[in-house]
Amino acid sequence: MSSATWRAHFTFNRYSQICARALRQSLKESERVKAEKRGLTALRYQHWENGQGGEQVYLVPPEETEKPKGSAAV
Amino acid sequence: MSSLRLLSTVARRAPSTFPAGRRGYAEAADKIKLSLVLPHQSIFSSADVVQVNISAATGDMGILANHVPSIEPLRPGLVEVVESGNTSKKWFVSGGFATVHPNNKLTINVVEAASLDDFSPEAVRANLQEAQRVIAGNGSEEDKAEARIEADVYEALQHALASK
Repeated sequence: MSSATWRAHFTFNRYSQICARALRQSLKESERVKAEKRGLTALRYQHWENGQGGEQVYLVPPEETEKPKGSAAV
Repeated sequence: MSSLRLLSTVARRAPSTFPAGRRGYAEAADKIKLSLVLPHQSIFSSADVVQVNISAATGDMGILANHVPSIEPLRPGLVEVVESGNTSKKWFVSGGFATVHPNNKLTINVVEAASLDDFSPEAVRANLQEAQRVIAGNGSEEDKAEARIEADVYEALQHALASK
């Protein structure tokens, strides 16, 4: 927080997460693998109005993969 | 006028509530209860410690027992905990808040922390070079601001690792 120029672009929460991510990327290899999982955010939100749900929006869009979806049906 | 007189009587009475022994700074007999917690782990949980050194946004400071209540945002930097005697443990924290409560309790909430042995100096150097490259490049202002924040963290980390 030497010169808080980031306040023009980010919220404090985002700033916190950037610092945490920087710390995690500097760990030794063994520790880093465990720590990277903590940085993962998987969130979907949906705006409701008049009892109708709107479109479900990913906060962080997932990458498109070719993996076929597994089925839990027995 | 009466409130002023009341204030002075209160001030005269205050010293008698202190413990009988004089408190010297060299041999701090009192301890402060420290809770150093991360979202996923709690390093200290109401543990008695002698002194805690933190790097607050307003400057580095040391917190002893019976510190005045205050709330300090933390820079990415070291938190050093002196539990007893001359030994101390250090953690590098990414940022958070240190809160001294009125009842001799200290709560430090940080997002990420690791002891200095868990860091790889080569990774820090490489990351710092990458961040400086982005700052000097011609990306968007947001990318540059992000890189500046990361560069601050890496520089603080290098400084901490150098003074291990």
